[in-house]
Amino acid sequence: MAAPRAAARRRPLDQLLLGLAFVAPALLLNLVFDWYPMFDGIYRSFYRWDGYSTAVWVGLGNFERLLNDTVFRTALWNMAFFLAAAIVLMFPTIVASVVLFRIRHQRTQFVYRVLFCIPMVVPWLVIMLMWQFMYNPQYGLFNRLIEALGMPDLTQTWLGDPDLVKWCLVFMGFPFVTTNAALIYLGGLKSVSESVWEAAALDGAGPVQTFLYLELPLIAGQFKLNLIGTITAAMTGYGTQLILTKGGPGFASMVPGLYMYFSAFKSQKYGYAASIGLTLFLMSLVITLLSMRFFKDTEEA
Amino acid sequence: MATQVQARRQRPFPWAEALKHATIVLVCLALLFPLFLMVMMSVKDKEQIVYEFFAIRPPFHLENYTIAFGYIAPLISNSVVLAVGSTLLTVSVTALAGYAFGRLEFPLKNLLFGILFAKMMLPGIMNLIPSFTLAWKLGILDTPLPVILFCAGTSQPFWVFVMRTFVAQQPRELFESMRIDGASEFQNFRYLAVPLLRPMIALMSINVFVFVWNDYIWPLVTIQSFEKRPLTVGLAYLTQANPGDYGMLTAGYVIAALPLLVLFFISMRQFIEGLTAGSIKL
Repeated sequence: MAAPRAAARRRPLDQLLLGLAFVAPALLLNLVFDWYPMFDGIYRSFYRWDGYSTAVWVGLGNFERLLNDTVFRTALWNMAFFLAAAIVLMFPTIVASVVLFRIRHQRTQFVYRVLFCIPMVVPWLVIMLMWQFMYNPQYGLFNRLIEALGMPDLTQTWLGDPDLVKWCLVFMGFPFVTTNAALIYLGGLKSVSESVWEAAALDGAGPVQTFLYLELPLIAGQFKLNLIGTITAAMTGYGTQLILTKGGPGFASMVPGLYMYFSAFKSQKYGYAASIGLTLFLMSLVITLLSMRFFKDTEEA
Repeated sequence: MATQVQARRQRPFPWAEALKHATIVLVCLALLFPLFLMVMMSVKDKEQIVYEFFAIRPPFHLENYTIAFGYIAPLISNSVVLAVGSTLLTVSVTALAGYAFGRLEFPLKNLLFGILFAKMMLPGIMNLIPSFTLAWKLGILDTPLPVILFCAGTSQPFWVFVMRTFVAQQPRELFESMRIDGASEFQNFRYLAVPLLRPMIALMSINVFVFVWNDYIWPLVTIQSFEKRPLTVGLAYLTQANPGDYGMLTAGYVIAALPLLVLFFISMRQFIEGLTAGSIKL
């Protein structure tokens, strides 16, 4: 009879064991397959290792080499370009989300939201390959379009042109509305009480004023979240370049993440690749923290 | 006639509303254009793509689909194995941990939760190469295991957080009453928490499934044999191996996109609401 009551007041050790029984699988997987690789990566970045022979301790040697590596320097400049473009191009998503939110007819709004979501469900790779097709100089959409407009001299090699390639990669985001970010903004706007909008309408606030003084400040938290995602993705992402350009032509679209990938899987320089990874990791962490700090300050001001 | 004119005067054409709709419709058209182009190209043969790019007229070459399907059918089952395996493992460990963190009291609870949660905040770029060497040392390269295990290791913290919040919101009496009836903590989890968590579990399953289905770099690195590779890696390979055969290729892209689109339209409301809901608690 007393058993259930005793069970309700368990001793700390039993409690710990019971808790561990539940959380151990998740925790173990996380420690082994997420935390351990990170520390292993830090450790490896101080070694020279080709993947087969014994690793050789080189201290900060990898990082010294990285400082003088012209490919890495090009990659950093390209990364800065993509980062700046990504931050500027966050704006269309904000506008689109606010416009979508202001559509009062709920059923139409839902239909639009469904359409917004479709590109997210289609494999990202398929969208990339379609853009590759559109840029294809021989078969693709853009040159066909230029020819159809009667200006065959203006056809381009697009991704094959070192001056154009970065702009082409940026333009692939067209119309620069990111589904995920848009849904996050919408979630934020929808969580605001209805009375706020009514009060604004009563005060005679125009659409632009409402945008600047109500909607923008209200989604500041969501903006920060998306900003972290955008910065991390722009600084460490390289999937697009891996599929479409391999960093080329030459090194015109090389980014640090891709350089890391090639250093490991093409040149078998695992230690060097790890040091690129660590450098990128620290850089994106610092820039994320700095931008968070910046936004905190502007909020208080 | 007169009343009509009057009605029109009372309600002027809603320009502002029309502008909003026009903006959104244009955005949607631009977003969906690559998909439209994909379907349009998938029924053309090589000559039609070169000589009548913009025309939509017969003959429609549906054999593109049978050829493409022949290439990628085996890859689809690979993708299914990877995605289903990852989803099952990730969801089960997450539900268990989310329940314990939300419901139970035990020493070190906050520390353990912190360990899980902290890694989520850090950029994942460093992990690729050491993860690869770890999978290599474990001797699991060229099997589905790297995708499944690393997915479960890296993608659950966020969902543990979501489930913990959800479990903690449920009334305490619900669980207490079961306990007084002599139910063990695991029975509590199995018969009370899991049914309650069902919407969260569904949402998480969809997300993990979509993530693994669309993943490219990690399976590219860890699965070397072509016949074991998932759909995404296979499609990229097919594109390189058949330059210019865009009718067949785009047909393959359509086939690759279809399963998720169907899944999406089946679970649409849950999918969208869930994506929106997850972000409200900021």
